[in-house]
Amino acid sequence: MSVRLFGCVFRAMWMHRLIMARRYAFNTLSSMITIYLVFLLLFLGGRALAGPMLLGDGLEGLVVGYLVWMFALFAYSDLAWELIMQAQIGTLEKLFLSPAGFRWVTVFNELGGLVFNFGLGSLMLLAIMLTTSTFLRIDLVSVVPLLLATIAAAYGFGLMAGGLALVHKRIQAAFQILQFVFVGFIMAPGDWVVSRYLPFNLGTRLLGQVMGDGVRIWQLPAADLLVLVATGAAYLALGLLVFARMERIARNRGLLGHY
Amino acid sequence: MTMALEVQGLTKVFRRRGKDPVVAVREIGLQVQPGEVVGLLGPNGAGKTTTIKCILGLMLATGGSVRVFGRDIARHRPEAARQMSAVLEGSRNIYWRMTAAENLGFFTLLHGVPRHEAQPYNHRLLEVFGLADRKDVSVQELSAGMRQKVAVACALATRASLVFLDEPTLGLDVETSHELRRLLRELAASEGRTIVLSSHDMAVVQDVCRRVVIMKEGRVVADDSVANLLALFRTRAYRFTLSDGCPDGLEQRLRERFTGVTMVPGRPFVVEVVLDRAEDLYAIIDVLRAAGVLIDTITQREPDLEEAFLRLMRGEGI
Repeated sequence: MSVRLFGCVFRAMWMHRLIMARRYAFNTLSSMITIYLVFLLLFLGGRALAGPMLLGDGLEGLVVGYLVWMFALFAYSDLAWELIMQAQIGTLEKLFLSPAGFRWVTVFNELGGLVFNFGLGSLMLLAIMLTTSTFLRIDLVSVVPLLLATIAAAYGFGLMAGGLALVHKRIQAAFQILQFVFVGFIMAPGDWVVSRYLPFNLGTRLLGQVMGDGVRIWQLPAADLLVLVATGAAYLALGLLVFARMERIARNRGLLGHY
Repeated sequence: MTMALEVQGLTKVFRRRGKDPVVAVREIGLQVQPGEVVGLLGPNGAGKTTTIKCILGLMLATGGSVRVFGRDIARHRPEAARQMSAVLEGSRNIYWRMTAAENLGFFTLLHGVPRHEAQPYNHRLLEVFGLADRKDVSVQELSAGMRQKVAVACALATRASLVFLDEPTLGLDVETSHELRRLLRELAASEGRTIVLSSHDMAVVQDVCRRVVIMKEGRVVADDSVANLLALFRTRAYRFTLSDGCPDGLEQRLRERFTGVTMVPGRPFVVEVVLDRAEDLYAIIDVLRAAGVLIDTITQREPDLEEAFLRLMRGEGI
Protein backbone atom coordinates (compact mmCIF):
# COMPACT_ATOMS: atom_id res chain seq x y z
CA MET A 1 0.00 0.00 0.00
CA SER A 2 1.70 3.20 -1.08
CA VAL A 3 1.36 6.87 -0.29
CA ARG A 4 0.87 7.42 -4.02
CA LEU A 5 -2.14 5.11 -4.08
CA PHE A 6 -3.68 6.73 -1.01
CA GLY A 7 -3.06 10.18 -2.50
CA CYS A 8 -4.78 9.18 -5.73
CA VAL A 9 -7.78 7.65 -3.95
CA PHE A 10 -8.20 10.72 -1.74
CA ARG A 11 -8.03 12.93 -4.80
CA ALA A 12 -10.57 10.74 -6.61
CA MET A 13 -13.05 10.89 -3.76
CA TRP A 14 -12.55 14.65 -3.28
CA MET A 15 -12.99 15.27 -7.01
CA HIS A 16 -16.14 13.13 -7.02
CA ARG A 17 -17.56 15.03 -4.06
CA LEU A 18 -16.94 18.44 -5.62
CA ILE A 19 -18.41 17.41 -8.97
CA MET A 20 -21.49 15.92 -7.31
CA ALA A 21 -21.95 19.02 -5.12
CA ARG A 22 -21.87 21.10 -8.30
CA ARG A 23 -24.22 18.79 -10.23
CA TYR A 24 -26.59 18.55 -7.29
CA ALA A 25 -26.15 22.20 -6.26
CA PHE A 26 -29.89 22.63 -5.77
CA ASN A 27 -29.97 19.67 -3.40
CA THR A 28 -27.00 21.00 -1.39
CA LEU A 29 -28.56 24.45 -1.22
CA SER A 30 -32.02 23.19 -0.28
CA SER A 31 -30.60 21.01 2.54
CA MET A 32 -28.76 24.03 3.91
CA ILE A 33 -31.90 26.15 3.71
CA THR A 34 -33.92 23.39 5.43
CA ILE A 35 -31.39 23.11 8.24
CA TYR A 36 -31.43 26.88 8.66
CA LEU A 37 -35.24 27.01 8.63
CA VAL A 38 -35.48 24.26 11.24
CA PHE A 39 -33.15 26.28 13.46
CA LEU A 40 -35.18 29.42 12.84
CA LEU A 41 -38.32 27.54 13.85
CA LEU A 42 -36.67 26.30 17.05
CA PHE A 43 -35.28 29.73 17.81
CA LEU A 44 -38.50 31.67 17.19
CA GLY A 45 -40.64 28.99 18.85
CA GLY A 46 -38.32 28.90 21.86
CA ARG A 47 -38.36 32.68 22.15
CA ALA A 48 -42.14 32.80 21.94
CA LEU A 49 -42.43 30.18 24.70
CA ALA A 50 -39.54 31.10 26.95
CA GLY A 51 -39.42 34.83 26.27
CA PRO A 52 -36.36 36.52 27.72
CA MET A 53 -35.29 33.20 29.32
CA LEU A 54 -34.00 32.15 25.91
CA LEU A 55 -31.13 34.51 26.11
CA GLY A 56 -27.54 34.25 27.30
CA ASP A 57 -26.60 30.70 28.31
CA GLY A 58 -29.89 29.25 27.09
CA LEU A 59 -29.45 30.62 23.61
CA GLU A 60 -25.79 29.72 23.47
CA GLY A 61 -26.73 26.19 24.50
CA LEU A 62 -29.31 26.02 21.73
CA VAL A 63 -26.82 27.23 19.12
CA VAL A 64 -24.05 24.86 20.25
CA GLY A 65 -26.49 21.94 20.51
CA TYR A 66 -27.80 22.67 17.04
CA LEU A 67 -24.27 22.99 15.69
CA VAL A 68 -23.34 19.55 17.07
CA TRP A 69 -26.55 18.02 15.70
CA MET A 70 -25.87 19.57 12.29
CA PHE A 71 -22.31 18.24 12.13
CA ALA A 72 -23.45 14.84 13.43
CA LEU A 73 -26.15 14.78 10.77
CA PHE A 74 -23.66 15.69 8.04
CA ALA A 75 -21.24 12.97 9.15
CA TYR A 76 -23.86 10.28 9.62
CA SER A 77 -25.93 10.93 6.54
CA ASP A 78 -22.86 11.41 4.40
CA LEU A 79 -21.72 7.90 5.13
CA ALA A 80 -25.04 6.08 5.20
CA TRP A 81 -26.69 7.82 2.23
CA GLU A 82 -23.53 7.64 0.16
CA LEU A 83 -23.48 3.85 0.53
CA ILE A 84 -27.16 3.57 -0.36
CA MET A 85 -26.74 5.88 -3.33
CA GLN A 86 -23.70 4.00 -4.65
CA ALA A 87 -25.57 0.70 -4.31
CA GLN A 88 -28.58 2.19 -6.10
CA ILE A 89 -26.66 3.53 -9.06
CA GLY A 90 -24.50 0.41 -9.31
CA THR A 91 -21.07 1.88 -8.61
CA LEU A 92 -20.52 0.32 -5.19
CA GLU A 93 -18.81 -2.74 -6.64
CA LYS A 94 -16.40 -0.54 -8.58
CA LEU A 95 -15.37 1.16 -5.34
CA PHE A 96 -14.68 -2.28 -3.87
CA LEU A 97 -12.33 -2.97 -6.78
CA SER A 98 -9.95 -0.18 -5.81
CA PRO A 99 -6.54 -1.57 -4.80
CA ALA A 100 -6.80 0.61 -1.69
CA GLY A 101 -9.74 -1.51 -0.51
CA PHE A 102 -13.26 -0.33 0.16
CA ARG A 103 -12.66 0.68 3.78
CA TRP A 104 -9.92 3.09 2.82
CA VAL A 105 -12.03 4.42 -0.04
CA THR A 106 -14.74 5.12 2.54
CA VAL A 107 -12.25 6.73 4.94
CA PHE A 108 -10.94 9.05 2.21
CA ASN A 109 -14.44 9.86 1.09
CA GLU A 110 -15.33 10.83 4.64
CA LEU A 111 -12.15 12.89 5.05
CA GLY A 112 -13.15 14.83 1.96
CA GLY A 113 -16.64 15.09 3.38
CA LEU A 114 -15.29 16.42 6.65
CA VAL A 115 -13.46 19.27 4.93
CA PHE A 116 -16.52 19.99 2.80
CA ASN A 117 -18.90 19.84 5.75
CA PHE A 118 -16.70 22.09 7.87
CA GLY A 119 -17.05 24.67 5.13
CA LEU A 120 -20.84 24.32 4.93
CA GLY A 121 -21.19 24.10 8.72
CA SER A 122 -19.14 27.27 9.22
CA LEU A 123 -21.38 29.17 6.81
CA MET A 124 -24.43 27.86 8.62
CA LEU A 125 -22.99 28.81 12.01
CA LEU A 126 -22.34 32.31 10.73
CA ALA A 127 -25.95 32.59 9.52
CA ILE A 128 -27.26 31.30 12.86
CA MET A 129 -25.06 33.67 14.86
CA LEU A 130 -26.19 36.62 12.73
CA THR A 131 -29.84 35.60 13.15
CA THR A 132 -29.63 35.22 16.92
CA SER A 133 -27.08 37.99 17.52
CA THR A 134 -25.25 35.44 19.64
CA PHE A 135 -21.60 35.47 18.72
CA LEU A 136 -19.82 32.42 20.02
CA ARG A 137 -16.07 32.25 20.55
CA ILE A 138 -14.55 30.29 17.69
CA ASP A 139 -11.25 29.20 19.17
CA LEU A 140 -10.29 26.74 16.43
CA VAL A 141 -7.55 25.07 18.50
CA SER A 142 -10.15 24.11 21.10
CA VAL A 143 -13.29 23.78 18.96
CA VAL A 144 -12.00 21.57 16.12
CA PRO A 145 -10.60 18.71 18.26
CA LEU A 146 -13.64 18.77 20.53
CA LEU A 147 -16.02 18.76 17.57
CA LEU A 148 -14.13 15.89 15.94
CA ALA A 149 -14.19 13.82 19.12
CA THR A 150 -17.90 14.58 19.51
CA ILE A 151 -18.97 13.67 16.00
CA ALA A 152 -16.78 10.53 15.90
CA ALA A 153 -19.84 8.76 17.27
CA ALA A 154 -21.86 9.97 14.26
CA TYR A 155 -19.35 8.28 11.95
CA GLY A 156 -19.80 5.14 14.04
CA PHE A 157 -23.57 5.30 13.54
CA GLY A 158 -23.07 6.07 9.87
CA LEU A 159 -20.92 2.98 9.48
CA MET A 160 -23.48 0.83 11.29
CA ALA A 161 -26.33 2.18 9.18
CA GLY A 162 -24.29 1.87 5.98
CA GLY A 163 -23.32 -1.69 6.84
CA LEU A 164 -26.94 -2.60 7.52
CA ALA A 165 -27.90 -1.00 4.20
CA LEU A 166 -25.40 -3.24 2.38
CA VAL A 167 -27.29 -6.30 3.59
CA HIS A 168 -30.86 -5.15 4.15
CA LYS A 169 -30.97 -2.45 1.45
CA ARG A 170 -34.10 -0.43 2.11
CA ILE A 171 -33.77 0.80 5.67
CA GLN A 172 -34.18 4.52 5.05
CA ALA A 173 -37.02 4.77 7.59
CA ALA A 174 -34.71 3.65 10.40
CA PHE A 175 -32.04 6.05 9.12
CA GLN A 176 -34.37 8.99 9.39
CA ILE A 177 -35.62 8.05 12.85
CA LEU A 178 -32.03 7.85 14.09
CA GLN A 179 -31.49 11.48 13.13
CA PHE A 180 -34.10 12.45 15.69
CA VAL A 181 -32.67 10.06 18.28
CA PHE A 182 -29.50 12.17 17.99
CA VAL A 183 -31.48 15.13 19.36
CA GLY A 184 -32.36 13.02 22.40
CA PHE A 185 -28.70 12.14 22.95
CA ILE A 186 -27.68 15.79 22.76
CA MET A 187 -30.46 17.02 25.02
CA ALA A 188 -30.28 14.32 27.72
CA PRO A 189 -29.89 16.09 31.08
CA GLY A 190 -26.27 16.46 32.16
CA ASP A 191 -26.99 15.35 35.71
CA TRP A 192 -27.89 11.82 34.61
CA VAL A 193 -24.96 9.50 35.22
CA VAL A 194 -25.30 7.82 31.84
CA SER A 195 -25.57 11.05 29.86
CA ARG A 196 -21.82 11.59 29.60
CA TYR A 197 -21.49 8.20 27.93
CA LEU A 198 -24.20 8.91 25.38
CA PRO A 199 -23.09 10.02 21.93
CA PHE A 200 -22.68 13.80 21.51
CA ASN A 201 -23.87 14.66 25.02
CA LEU A 202 -20.65 15.38 26.89
CA GLY A 203 -19.08 16.89 23.77
CA THR A 204 -21.97 19.36 23.42
CA ARG A 205 -21.53 20.49 27.01
CA LEU A 206 -17.76 20.86 26.66
CA LEU A 207 -18.20 22.76 23.40
CA GLY A 208 -20.71 24.98 25.21
CA GLN A 209 -18.04 25.87 27.75
CA VAL A 210 -15.46 26.56 25.03
CA MET A 211 -17.69 28.50 22.66
CA GLY A 212 -19.86 30.19 25.28
CA ASP A 213 -17.58 30.84 28.23
CA GLY A 214 -14.28 31.07 26.38
CA VAL A 215 -12.66 28.14 28.20
CA ARG A 216 -9.63 26.73 26.36
CA ILE A 217 -9.44 23.00 25.73
CA TRP A 218 -6.57 22.46 28.16
CA GLN A 219 -8.58 24.18 30.90
CA LEU A 220 -11.31 21.53 30.66
CA PRO A 221 -11.27 18.65 33.18
CA ALA A 222 -8.93 15.93 31.90
CA ALA A 223 -11.38 13.22 32.98
CA ASP A 224 -14.11 14.77 30.82
CA LEU A 225 -11.79 14.93 27.82
CA LEU A 226 -10.77 11.34 28.38
CA VAL A 227 -14.40 10.16 28.55
CA LEU A 228 -15.23 12.20 25.45
CA VAL A 229 -12.40 10.67 23.40
CA ALA A 230 -13.01 7.17 24.77
CA THR A 231 -16.76 7.20 24.06
CA GLY A 232 -16.21 8.70 20.60
CA ALA A 233 -13.61 6.02 19.83
CA ALA A 234 -15.86 3.29 21.25
CA TYR A 235 -18.85 4.26 19.04
CA LEU A 236 -16.56 4.56 16.04
CA ALA A 237 -14.99 1.16 16.75
CA LEU A 238 -18.45 -0.37 17.17
CA GLY A 239 -19.44 1.14 13.83
CA LEU A 240 -16.34 -0.29 12.15
CA LEU A 241 -17.01 -3.72 13.65
CA VAL A 242 -20.63 -3.77 12.51
CA PHE A 243 -19.65 -2.47 9.08
CA ALA A 244 -16.91 -5.11 8.65
CA ARG A 245 -19.35 -7.84 9.68
CA MET A 246 -22.08 -6.59 7.36
CA GLU A 247 -19.63 -6.16 4.49
CA ARG A 248 -18.57 -9.78 4.92
CA ILE A 249 -22.20 -10.96 4.97
CA ALA A 250 -22.95 -8.89 1.86
CA ARG A 251 -19.91 -10.32 0.03
CA ASN A 252 -20.79 -13.82 1.16
CA ARG A 253 -24.38 -13.50 -0.07
CA GLY A 254 -23.34 -11.62 -3.19
CA LEU A 255 -25.37 -8.55 -2.31
CA LEU A 256 -22.92 -5.75 -3.14
CA GLY A 257 -24.27 -5.21 -6.62
CA HIS A 258 -27.92 -5.51 -5.63
CA TYR A 259 -30.35 -2.92 -4.52
CA MET B 1 5.26 -18.84 -17.46
CA THR B 2 3.12 -17.06 -14.88
CA MET B 3 -0.54 -17.33 -15.73
CA ALA B 4 -2.61 -14.16 -15.85
CA LEU B 5 -5.36 -16.04 -14.06
CA GLU B 6 -5.35 -19.38 -12.29
CA VAL B 7 -8.55 -20.60 -10.72
CA GLN B 8 -8.55 -23.89 -8.84
CA GLY B 9 -11.51 -25.66 -7.33
CA LEU B 10 -13.56 -22.47 -7.13
CA THR B 11 -16.85 -23.19 -5.42
CA LYS B 12 -19.64 -20.89 -4.35
CA VAL B 13 -22.57 -22.14 -2.32
CA PHE B 14 -25.39 -19.83 -1.28
CA ARG B 15 -26.86 -21.03 1.99
CA ARG B 16 -30.36 -19.84 2.76
CA ARG B 17 -32.16 -20.23 6.04
CA GLY B 18 -34.82 -22.95 5.84
CA LYS B 19 -34.06 -23.73 2.20
CA ASP B 20 -31.70 -26.02 0.36
CA PRO B 21 -28.31 -24.50 -0.38
CA VAL B 22 -27.75 -23.38 -3.96
CA VAL B 23 -24.45 -24.42 -5.52
CA ALA B 24 -23.81 -21.62 -8.00
CA VAL B 25 -20.26 -22.61 -8.91
CA ARG B 26 -18.83 -26.13 -8.54
CA GLU B 27 -15.09 -26.68 -8.35
CA ILE B 28 -14.19 -24.61 -11.36
CA GLY B 29 -10.65 -24.79 -12.70
CA LEU B 30 -9.43 -22.26 -15.21
CA GLN B 31 -6.10 -21.01 -16.49
CA VAL B 32 -5.74 -17.95 -18.66
CA GLN B 33 -2.45 -16.97 -20.25
CA PRO B 34 -1.31 -13.35 -20.46
CA GLY B 35 -2.70 -11.72 -23.59
CA GLU B 36 -5.45 -14.31 -24.05
CA VAL B 37 -9.00 -13.20 -24.81
CA VAL B 38 -11.34 -15.75 -23.28
CA GLY B 39 -15.10 -15.87 -23.61
CA LEU B 40 -17.25 -17.16 -20.80
CA LEU B 41 -20.49 -18.54 -22.18
CA GLY B 42 -23.45 -20.11 -20.50
CA PRO B 43 -27.19 -19.85 -20.08
CA ASN B 44 -28.78 -17.81 -17.28
CA GLY B 45 -27.82 -19.22 -13.91
CA ALA B 46 -24.76 -21.03 -15.28
CA GLY B 47 -22.53 -19.23 -12.77
CA LYS B 48 -20.63 -16.87 -15.09
CA THR B 49 -21.17 -13.68 -13.13
CA THR B 50 -20.69 -15.46 -9.81
CA THR B 51 -17.38 -16.83 -11.05
CA ILE B 52 -16.23 -13.38 -12.16
CA LYS B 53 -17.33 -11.78 -8.90
CA CYS B 54 -15.53 -14.44 -6.85
CA ILE B 55 -12.36 -13.87 -8.87
CA LEU B 56 -12.65 -10.12 -8.32
CA GLY B 57 -13.26 -10.60 -4.61
CA LEU B 58 -16.69 -9.02 -4.74
CA MET B 59 -18.12 -12.31 -3.54
CA LEU B 60 -16.52 -14.61 -1.01
CA ALA B 61 -15.94 -18.04 -2.50
CA THR B 62 -16.91 -21.05 -0.41
CA GLY B 63 -13.83 -22.94 -1.56
CA GLY B 64 -10.94 -22.92 -3.99
CA SER B 65 -8.24 -20.45 -4.83
CA VAL B 66 -7.67 -17.64 -7.32
CA ARG B 67 -4.25 -16.39 -8.38
CA VAL B 68 -3.81 -13.30 -10.51
CA PHE B 69 -0.38 -13.06 -12.14
CA GLY B 70 0.86 -15.51 -9.52
CA ARG B 71 -0.63 -13.68 -6.53
CA ASP B 72 -3.26 -15.28 -4.37
CA ILE B 73 -6.12 -12.77 -4.16
CA ALA B 74 -6.98 -13.81 -0.62
CA ARG B 75 -3.46 -13.03 0.64
CA HIS B 76 -2.37 -10.23 -1.70
CA ARG B 77 -5.60 -8.47 -2.50
CA PRO B 78 -4.23 -4.92 -3.07
CA GLU B 79 -1.53 -6.14 -5.48
CA ALA B 80 -3.99 -8.45 -7.26
CA ALA B 81 -6.63 -5.69 -7.40
CA ARG B 82 -4.13 -3.40 -9.13
CA GLN B 83 -3.91 -5.94 -11.98
CA MET B 84 -7.68 -6.25 -12.45
CA SER B 85 -10.51 -4.10 -13.62
CA ALA B 86 -14.03 -4.86 -14.70
CA VAL B 87 -17.22 -3.78 -16.35
CA LEU B 88 -20.09 -5.26 -14.41
CA GLU B 89 -23.73 -4.84 -15.34
CA GLY B 90 -22.82 -2.71 -18.33
CA SER B 91 -23.19 1.01 -18.03
CA ARG B 92 -24.64 0.90 -14.51
CA ASN B 93 -21.08 0.85 -13.25
CA ILE B 94 -20.28 4.47 -14.03
CA TYR B 95 -21.52 7.81 -12.73
CA TRP B 96 -24.23 9.08 -15.03
CA ARG B 97 -24.14 12.58 -13.55
CA MET B 98 -20.46 12.91 -14.42
CA THR B 99 -19.05 13.41 -17.90
CA ALA B 100 -17.18 10.72 -19.81
CA ALA B 101 -13.85 12.50 -19.14
CA GLU B 102 -14.66 12.89 -15.44
CA ASN B 103 -15.56 9.20 -15.16
CA LEU B 104 -12.28 8.17 -16.74
CA GLY B 105 -10.38 10.57 -14.48
CA PHE B 106 -12.18 9.29 -11.38
CA PHE B 107 -11.71 5.58 -12.04
CA THR B 108 -8.03 5.91 -12.94
CA LEU B 109 -7.36 7.83 -9.74
CA LEU B 110 -9.35 5.27 -7.77
CA HIS B 111 -7.05 2.65 -9.22
CA GLY B 112 -3.98 4.57 -8.09
CA VAL B 113 -2.94 6.09 -11.42
CA PRO B 114 -2.01 9.77 -10.97
CA ARG B 115 -3.74 12.26 -13.21
CA HIS B 116 -0.67 13.31 -15.22
CA GLU B 117 0.07 9.67 -16.06
CA ALA B 118 -3.53 8.81 -16.88
CA GLN B 119 -4.48 11.76 -19.03
CA PRO B 120 -2.70 10.98 -22.33
CA TYR B 121 -4.09 7.43 -22.38
CA ASN B 122 -7.55 8.60 -21.31
CA HIS B 123 -7.55 11.03 -24.24
CA ARG B 124 -6.51 8.21 -26.54
CA LEU B 125 -9.31 5.98 -25.29
CA LEU B 126 -11.84 8.77 -25.77
CA GLU B 127 -10.59 9.15 -29.33
CA VAL B 128 -10.60 5.42 -30.06
CA PHE B 129 -14.11 4.98 -28.65
CA GLY B 130 -15.40 7.95 -30.63
CA LEU B 131 -16.21 9.90 -27.48
CA ALA B 132 -13.71 12.75 -27.83
CA ASP B 133 -16.22 15.31 -29.05
CA ARG B 134 -18.70 14.34 -26.33
CA LYS B 135 -16.25 13.91 -23.47
CA ASP B 136 -17.63 16.87 -21.55
CA VAL B 137 -21.25 15.79 -21.86
CA SER B 138 -22.89 14.22 -18.83
CA VAL B 139 -23.13 10.42 -19.30
CA GLN B 140 -26.90 10.48 -18.78
CA GLU B 141 -27.21 12.56 -21.93
CA LEU B 142 -25.34 10.01 -24.04
CA SER B 143 -26.93 7.17 -26.01
CA ALA B 144 -26.96 3.63 -24.54
CA GLY B 145 -24.13 2.62 -26.85
CA MET B 146 -21.98 5.56 -25.86
CA ARG B 147 -22.63 4.92 -22.17
CA GLN B 148 -21.50 1.34 -22.66
CA LYS B 149 -18.37 2.58 -24.39
CA VAL B 150 -17.65 4.91 -21.46
CA ALA B 151 -18.02 1.95 -19.06
CA VAL B 152 -15.61 -0.18 -21.10
CA ALA B 153 -13.20 2.76 -21.49
CA CYS B 154 -13.24 3.27 -17.70
CA ALA B 155 -12.23 -0.35 -17.16
CA LEU B 156 -9.46 -0.11 -19.74
CA ALA B 157 -8.23 3.30 -18.55
CA THR B 158 -6.89 1.80 -15.33
CA ARG B 159 -4.32 -0.03 -17.49
CA ALA B 160 -5.10 -3.21 -15.57
CA SER B 161 -3.54 -6.25 -17.23
CA LEU B 162 -6.58 -8.45 -16.62
CA VAL B 163 -9.93 -7.02 -17.64
CA PHE B 164 -13.30 -8.63 -17.00
CA LEU B 165 -16.16 -7.60 -19.22
CA ASP B 166 -19.49 -8.92 -18.02
CA GLU B 167 -22.06 -8.60 -20.81
CA PRO B 168 -20.36 -5.59 -22.44
CA THR B 169 -22.79 -5.48 -25.37
CA LEU B 170 -25.97 -6.04 -23.39
CA GLY B 171 -28.83 -3.91 -24.68
CA LEU B 172 -26.89 -2.49 -27.63
CA ASP B 173 -28.23 -2.33 -31.15
CA VAL B 174 -26.54 -4.50 -33.79
CA GLU B 175 -24.45 -1.68 -35.25
CA THR B 176 -23.11 -0.46 -31.92
CA SER B 177 -22.47 -4.01 -30.78
CA HIS B 178 -20.39 -4.62 -33.92
CA GLU B 179 -18.48 -1.39 -33.37
CA LEU B 180 -17.72 -2.25 -29.74
CA ARG B 181 -16.62 -5.75 -30.76
CA ARG B 182 -14.24 -4.28 -33.33
CA LEU B 183 -12.79 -1.93 -30.73
CA LEU B 184 -12.31 -4.73 -28.24
CA ARG B 185 -10.62 -6.89 -30.87
CA GLU B 186 -8.29 -4.09 -31.87
CA LEU B 187 -7.43 -3.09 -28.31
CA ALA B 188 -6.83 -6.70 -27.27
CA ALA B 189 -4.50 -7.18 -30.22
CA SER B 190 -2.63 -3.88 -29.92
CA GLU B 191 -2.21 -3.80 -26.14
CA GLY B 192 -1.87 -7.48 -25.31
CA ARG B 193 -4.33 -7.28 -22.43
CA THR B 194 -5.84 -10.39 -20.95
CA ILE B 195 -9.59 -10.17 -21.32
CA VAL B 196 -12.26 -12.42 -19.86
CA LEU B 197 -15.55 -11.62 -21.53
CA SER B 198 -18.83 -13.06 -20.38
CA SER B 199 -21.82 -12.85 -22.66
CA HIS B 200 -25.07 -14.48 -23.68
CA ASP B 201 -24.35 -13.29 -27.19
CA MET B 202 -22.49 -16.07 -29.00
CA ALA B 203 -21.66 -13.78 -31.89
CA VAL B 204 -19.79 -11.44 -29.55
CA VAL B 205 -17.69 -14.29 -28.15
CA GLN B 206 -17.10 -15.80 -31.59
CA ASP B 207 -16.07 -12.41 -32.91
CA VAL B 208 -13.82 -11.23 -30.08
CA CYS B 209 -12.45 -14.32 -28.31
CA ARG B 210 -10.04 -17.00 -29.40
CA ARG B 211 -10.93 -19.34 -26.59
CA VAL B 212 -14.26 -20.10 -25.04
CA VAL B 213 -15.17 -21.59 -21.69
CA ILE B 214 -18.72 -22.88 -21.61
CA MET B 215 -20.46 -23.19 -18.26
CA LYS B 216 -23.59 -25.06 -17.32
CA GLU B 217 -25.10 -25.38 -13.85
CA GLY B 218 -21.97 -24.02 -12.20
CA ARG B 219 -19.57 -26.33 -14.04
CA VAL B 220 -17.22 -25.91 -16.97
CA VAL B 221 -18.55 -28.20 -19.70
CA ALA B 222 -16.15 -27.14 -22.44
CA ASP B 223 -12.92 -25.21 -22.57
CA ASP B 224 -11.31 -24.96 -25.97
CA SER B 225 -10.45 -22.56 -28.76
CA VAL B 226 -13.43 -21.22 -30.68
CA ALA B 227 -11.94 -22.74 -33.85
CA ASN B 228 -11.70 -26.21 -32.27
CA LEU B 229 -15.22 -26.05 -30.93
CA LEU B 230 -16.56 -25.12 -34.34
CA ALA B 231 -14.45 -27.81 -35.98
CA LEU B 232 -15.88 -30.37 -33.58
CA PHE B 233 -19.27 -29.90 -35.22
CA ARG B 234 -18.20 -28.74 -38.66
CA THR B 235 -17.20 -32.24 -39.80
CA ARG B 236 -20.55 -33.69 -38.84
CA ALA B 237 -23.11 -31.12 -39.97
CA TYR B 238 -24.50 -31.81 -43.45
CA ARG B 239 -27.24 -30.43 -45.65
CA PHE B 240 -28.84 -32.57 -48.37
CA THR B 241 -31.11 -31.10 -51.02
CA LEU B 242 -33.56 -33.57 -52.55
CA SER B 243 -34.97 -32.49 -55.89
CA ASP B 244 -37.91 -34.97 -55.85
CA GLY B 245 -39.16 -34.14 -52.38
CA CYS B 246 -39.43 -36.48 -49.41
CA PRO B 247 -41.15 -39.86 -49.83
CA ASP B 248 -43.41 -41.23 -47.08
CA GLY B 249 -41.57 -42.88 -44.22
CA LEU B 250 -38.19 -41.35 -44.98
CA GLU B 251 -38.30 -38.94 -42.10
CA GLN B 252 -39.11 -41.75 -39.65
CA ARG B 253 -36.30 -43.96 -41.04
CA LEU B 254 -33.80 -41.12 -40.72
CA ARG B 255 -34.85 -40.27 -37.18
CA GLU B 256 -34.62 -43.93 -36.14
CA ARG B 257 -30.97 -44.10 -37.18
CA PHE B 258 -29.61 -40.56 -36.70
CA THR B 259 -29.90 -37.82 -34.12
CA GLY B 260 -30.12 -34.14 -35.01
CA VAL B 261 -32.28 -34.57 -38.14
CA THR B 262 -34.15 -31.49 -39.37
CA MET B 263 -36.53 -31.65 -42.35
CA VAL B 264 -37.09 -28.39 -44.21
CA PRO B 265 -40.05 -28.87 -46.64
CA GLY B 266 -40.06 -26.91 -49.89
CA ARG B 267 -38.61 -27.05 -53.33
CA PRO B 268 -35.98 -28.35 -53.15
CA PHE B 269 -36.67 -30.39 -50.02
CA VAL B 270 -33.83 -30.02 -47.51
CA VAL B 271 -32.63 -32.50 -44.91
CA GLU B 272 -30.21 -31.14 -42.32
CA VAL B 273 -28.43 -33.60 -40.15
CA VAL B 274 -25.67 -33.57 -37.58
CA LEU B 275 -23.96 -36.93 -37.57
CA ASP B 276 -22.43 -38.52 -34.51
CA ARG B 277 -19.58 -40.14 -36.47
CA ALA B 278 -17.96 -39.13 -39.75
CA GLU B 279 -18.63 -42.59 -41.28
CA ASP B 280 -22.37 -42.06 -40.75
CA LEU B 281 -22.28 -39.93 -43.91
CA TYR B 282 -22.17 -43.13 -45.99
CA ALA B 283 -24.95 -44.67 -43.94
CA ILE B 284 -27.27 -41.72 -44.50
CA ILE B 285 -26.55 -41.73 -48.23
CA ASP B 286 -27.48 -45.43 -48.24
CA VAL B 287 -30.79 -44.68 -46.48
CA LEU B 288 -31.61 -41.90 -48.97
CA ARG B 289 -30.69 -44.12 -51.92
CA ALA B 290 -32.76 -47.00 -50.57
CA ALA B 291 -35.74 -44.60 -50.33
CA GLY B 292 -35.30 -43.84 -54.01
CA VAL B 293 -34.72 -40.12 -53.67
CA LEU B 294 -32.44 -38.17 -55.91
CA ILE B 295 -29.79 -36.27 -53.99
CA ASP B 296 -29.24 -32.94 -55.67
CA THR B 297 -26.43 -31.55 -53.50
CA ILE B 298 -24.59 -32.42 -50.31
CA THR B 299 -23.00 -29.50 -48.49
CA GLN B 300 -21.16 -29.38 -45.25
CA ARG B 301 -23.08 -26.93 -43.12
CA GLU B 302 -20.95 -24.31 -41.32
CA PRO B 303 -21.97 -24.40 -37.69
CA ASP B 304 -21.64 -21.23 -35.64
CA LEU B 305 -20.80 -20.93 -32.00
CA GLU B 306 -24.48 -20.76 -31.14
CA GLU B 307 -25.06 -24.22 -32.54
CA ALA B 308 -21.94 -25.57 -30.87
CA PHE B 309 -23.13 -24.05 -27.63
CA LEU B 310 -26.63 -25.47 -27.90
CA ARG B 311 -25.30 -28.93 -28.68
CA LEU B 312 -22.93 -28.76 -25.74
CA MET B 313 -25.79 -27.70 -23.52
CA ARG B 314 -27.67 -30.81 -24.67
CA GLY B 315 -24.66 -32.87 -23.67
CA GLU B 316 -23.58 -33.70 -27.21
CA GLY B 317 -19.95 -33.67 -28.24
CA ILE B 318 -18.62 -33.68 -24.68
